[in-house]
Amino acid sequence: MPRFHFDIHENGHLTPDEDGRVFADGNAARKEAVLTGASIARDAFTTGSSHRIVVDVREEGAPFLKVSITLEVEEA
Amino acid sequence: MPSDAIRAALIKRLRISSAIADEDIAEIEALPISVRHFPAEQPVVRDGERATNCCLIADGFCARSKTIANGKRQILSIHIPGEIPDLMSLFLHVMDHDLATLTPSTLGFISHETLQRLHRRRPVVAEMFWRDTLIDSAMFREWIVNVGQRPAPARLAHVMIELRERLRIIGRLDGNNFEMPLTQEQIGEALGITAVHANRVIKQLRQEGIVDLHRGRVTVLDERKFLELADFDNRYLHQSPTL
Repeated sequence: MPRFHFDIHENGHLTPDEDGRVFADGNAARKEAVLTGASIARDAFTTGSSHRIVVDVREEGAPFLKVSITLEVEEA
Repeated sequence: MPSDAIRAALIKRLRISSAIADEDIAEIEALPISVRHFPAEQPVVRDGERATNCCLIADGFCARSKTIANGKRQILSIHIPGEIPDLMSLFLHVMDHDLATLTPSTLGFISHETLQRLHRRRPVVAEMFWRDTLIDSAMFREWIVNVGQRPAPARLAHVMIELRERLRIIGRLDGNNFEMPLTQEQIGEALGITAVHANRVIKQLRQEGIVDLHRGRVTVLDERKFLELADFDNRYLHQSPTL
């Protein structure tokens, strides 16, 4: 089973994932990336610590996918 | 494990939280208990099963959980030696959630019949166990607040401090160090976040010099920041008979 690494960028600040995590397939890793991005964004947006979260997923070292979540508030 | 060691943590806990009398301790010491050893991550009693025993944790860590249709598991509570996590099965006969070990555990099984007979003979013991299940539900209320309202780092800190309070009662603290033998997956399942997010929160708490969780042990790095982050008030644990 392939190993995926989830590097997280919060307002441009990178937290690299050295250990990685094994998933059954790419689809399971994609779900984990989306859920992770959403749950980190929930905290970051509500506490105001950041307005942009990127989960950058590598599969066995090579780029696999990127989930970006941005907070946009448009005041009337 | 000698038979008094099976009950040691339970008696220690009841002495502090319920001020149990010596003659009731003698009753608990005389309870027939059948001891079994379980490996880590093994179901003890499953959702939907009819329980005929209550299970006293003599050694090890267990968790109660519920799994929804898509296979996602929510950990509802973490249990330590001296606790009887399925005490409610004495009255609620079919399990509405799972009880499983987290680590290799020594469990003592007490038959419902034995407990019912003890309760009829010593109503004070029944009241004490009643109080125990009420504290159990107070802990669930706190767990709901924690998972529903606090950001993930505070959520983890709160679960850690509660565990520390409970380990203290049974004499299982080691300086500023205590056991929390959960994997990142299990921490995610307890906090309602992904394992990757749990990993990030653990790292964040370490980098900010608050607390270090490493190989199932928690080391507090800054007590003041730890308490402040967790927003912890131990009142809901009702750790003395007057509370």
